[in-house]
Amino acid sequence: MSKLKRSLFHPLPMGFMMIIMIWYVLYLVIATRTIPAPLETFNYFFRHLHPLVIHMGASLMRVVVAVVLAILIGLPVGIAIGRSKRLDKVLSPLLYIIYPIPKVAFLPVFMLLFGLGNVSKVILMLFIIVFQLMLSVRDGVKDIPPHYFTVIRSFSARRKYLYRYVVLPAILPRIFSSLRISIGISLATLFFAENYATTYGIGYFILSAWMKMNYVEMFSGIIALSLLGSVLFGVIDMLEKRLTPWL
Amino acid sequence: MKPFITLKDVVYEVGGQVVFDKLNLSLDKGKVYAVIGPSGVGKTTLLYLLAGFIKPSSGQITIAGDAVYDVREQTSFLFQDLGLFPWQTATEAVKMPLEISKDRRKHENESIVNQLLGSLNILSYKDQYPHQLSGGQKQRVALARTLVTQPDLLLMDEPTSALDAMTKETIQQLFLDLQSDRFMTSVFVTHDIEEAVFLGDEILLLHPNGHYQWLKNKDQSEGLSRETKAFYDQCFYVRKQLELGGAGHE
Ligand SMILES: Nc1ncnc2c1ncn2[C@@H]1O[C@H](COP(=O)(O)OP(=O)(O)O)[C@@H](O)[C@H]1O
Ligand SMILES: [Mg+2]
Repeated sequence: MSKLKRSLFHPLPMGFMMIIMIWYVLYLVIATRTIPAPLETFNYFFRHLHPLVIHMGASLMRVVVAVVLAILIGLPVGIAIGRSKRLDKVLSPLLYIIYPIPKVAFLPVFMLLFGLGNVSKVILMLFIIVFQLMLSVRDGVKDIPPHYFTVIRSFSARRKYLYRYVVLPAILPRIFSSLRISIGISLATLFFAENYATTYGIGYFILSAWMKMNYVEMFSGIIALSLLGSVLFGVIDMLEKRLTPWL
Repeated sequence: MKPFITLKDVVYEVGGQVVFDKLNLSLDKGKVYAVIGPSGVGKTTLLYLLAGFIKPSSGQITIAGDAVYDVREQTSFLFQDLGLFPWQTATEAVKMPLEISKDRRKHENESIVNQLLGSLNILSYKDQYPHQLSGGQKQRVALARTLVTQPDLLLMDEPTSALDAMTKETIQQLFLDLQSDRFMTSVFVTHDIEEAVFLGDEILLLHPNGHYQWLKNKDQSEGLSRETKAFYDQCFYVRKQLELGGAGHE
């Protein structure tokens, strides 16, 4: 296959084209002002690329900070729960209580505690990502064959090597699938979180266009949000390929 | 010669069951010991005690003059299921013990590993993961991983039980070559009488309740070749002793 052909049949452009087609059909069939023409929307998107990129950047920063914090907190806590039966008994029920609550419900509380600015927005996303991550890491650690701990012990390995050679590689695949799920959810939450006390962020952009009933603008914001998601997922896929080459 | 390993009045109890009751043993340096006996008699337990994975309920084990309280750096263990990690290539697996051990010049590791993989005929598989290797290749990687730190004691739990007959003989021959190069002491568990007779200098036959019996295997340093009548006579003799012990062999 030629390079062009191969890249056209890559799942991502294929999916993209399918969505555009469905969108176009809906636009023709429903014929309402709420669904703008794809071409008109892309036109708008590219003409307003500069502000859109700034909005995307603001959202991206919030997500990335939340992800980094979630890993810094969720990884050690998840490992500790997975390694200790007692911690598991105490903390897992707590996690089960918090996990199913839509974290966006806590937004008013976060705003009260952490102010209206970036901190409360990041904390909201952190909350979405970190519990999912803790549970995945905990399960990953519990699934390590007990035998592996004897093997690493037979090399007189100090604790740091136990983590480096056994625990971390064993949970890496789980970390990636957990991040994929929770980043998706946290992107969707931007819509609420960026509704307050900011004029930057793709969530804010979509919502304000909606309020203005400028649907072309709103849809170009949605395009930007999908683009942001694709980039994040792309980075995660790439890291996963790099860091878990045995799978 | 002072024994390399001594077990003095070693008692081991687990779950209300006495596996060893005042076991006394001494093993010499540089020899190969085969441990045989019926299932559940305590063969793996004996290896785990020697490795320092578990501690005797009472009594003492000394290796090279030092009491064993924990795992020793100079003891290597070859596990029955090999214990290769699915996320390590052959090179990574063999390099790991070098990186773990403290005072080593790290920049030499690469060439040490390559040399060892070469001498075990698996250099061309150096970047393969376990699921990409055959049983015999995995066995060689695991063997390389245990030998790379130049242990003075090698413990092996049924090291060839998962291999087909042909691969098994190749690995056994490989082991004999390595053993004669290194002046290691080796203790291995097997349920294969031919393997015990072929590889062992001495055969330790364990009976239930921690009784045991030595079956002298080879005369001086003279190995028993599989082709000789003496080899099969010896196998017959060992089999007989195993049956006399009460329980049949596995
Ligand atoms: N962790 C344990 N808990 C309970 N019983 C054990 C444990 N480890 C070993 N045993 C008992 O000790 C005996 C010896 O086991 P093992 O050394 O594995 O036998 P072998 O390797 O000769 O088949 C068995 O009867 C087994 O049930
Ligand atoms: Mg056993």
